[in-house]
Amino acid sequence: MLNTDDFNVKRIQQMLMEMARGNFFFSLEPSAKNDNVASLIVMLNMVNEEIRASFVHQGFARAEDTPQYLVQLSFLLNAEGIIEMANQKTSSLLSRLPKDLIGTHITELLTKGSRKIWQKKQQQLLKKEYSDTKIPLELTTGEGLIIRKEFNVTCFQDLDGTHQKILMDTVLFSKSEPFGKGLWKQALKVSKDTRSPKVRLSQKDIRMIRGVHDMIINNLDNDLPKLKDLALQMGTNEFKLKYGFKQLYGTSVFKFLTQERLRKAKTLTLHTSLSLKTIAHMTGFKSIPHFSRAFKEKYGSPPSSLRK
Amino acid sequence: MNTSHENKYAVYLLTDNLLHVIYKKDHMIDLEAAQIIVRDRMKVQEGLSMPVLCDIREIRMVNKPARDYFAMEGSLLVKALAFLIDPPVTDVISAFYLGTHLVSFPTASFTDKAEAIAFLKESTT
Repeated sequence: MLNTDDFNVKRIQQMLMEMARGNFFFSLEPSAKNDNVASLIVMLNMVNEEIRASFVHQGFARAEDTPQYLVQLSFLLNAEGIIEMANQKTSSLLSRLPKDLIGTHITELLTKGSRKIWQKKQQQLLKKEYSDTKIPLELTTGEGLIIRKEFNVTCFQDLDGTHQKILMDTVLFSKSEPFGKGLWKQALKVSKDTRSPKVRLSQKDIRMIRGVHDMIINNLDNDLPKLKDLALQMGTNEFKLKYGFKQLYGTSVFKFLTQERLRKAKTLTLHTSLSLKTIAHMTGFKSIPHFSRAFKEKYGSPPSSLRK
Repeated sequence: MNTSHENKYAVYLLTDNLLHVIYKKDHMIDLEAAQIIVRDRMKVQEGLSMPVLCDIREIRMVNKPARDYFAMEGSLLVKALAFLIDPPVTDVISAFYLGTHLVSFPTASFTDKAEAIAFLKESTT
């Protein structure tokens, strides 16, 4: 039955249903085959990832407009890896009854690849009295969907110091439920540092600002015109470009340019033997000192330190 | 000039200023894999920008962090890019990647290797 078209189509429907409910944290196990159903699964996973990314992005950039709902997944395990406790949300997300979870070995919930990672990490974790780490894991739901997420895994001694326990948890974003009232509303409200956006952006403005973003990426070695001229060139005004860009990308036009130049420069410095002068030139820096200074400011040490 | 290199995820063959990158079977390409693939490609190229033929026929999954990395850091020192694909799965992957990411050099997908090479030659002369 596993991996037949019928089975896969059911999983695809299930995944689409979750997406319709606003749950973008599931994914499907890719098929090893090269057929139409496999290509649909691949496509669905990629679409889901893109939506998830844009949704989280909006969530941070325009938090006051986006109802976010946090879902916490938590497990308490004993040193053998047997589940002793799982919160209620976990059992509903995994479409498994609590009684089916408690007493089960955690590896039974993991995909094959994650099982290996877990077994290796678990041994390392238990060597120390207390340890705290992050492990990317894939959990399978009762319906065959996958939740891929980085888990915080903490290993600790119980109170009488006789047993070791493992706490693993993660938080997922969902769009399915609006802000609650009272405590939760306060906890989730982004305050102080975020102000209401200074400009309202139309679809056309957003397209224009994305155009500026793409133009910067494609011309990192060239200097940007003045913001005012750039705005004119794009058929908008300086105010809208300045605040709109910040609203969409969380940084100013010029900071973004420098950030992308440095990102490119770092990769070239690390993986090629091109001279720093050439790299500085390729990434639009006027001189080596200018390049080194900007690099050090961002990464903590000058580019020459990556070459030793 | 003939150089070759191999890592866990791909084989690199450099012939006549054209780089072939052949992805191996059964690997899920995540960010860590993408970083290794790009790092080794740049090492093989020794700082020279050149056309790249990417044989992705055996790939079954490239996740978003990896796709984003390929589109930014991963497109350095690439003059033109041809994907060698085997529909339908890798056709979907390459079409999706090209449809959602900004690529600043000539790029196209082919099922025929000779056509892919012809495209790369044409777009870099």
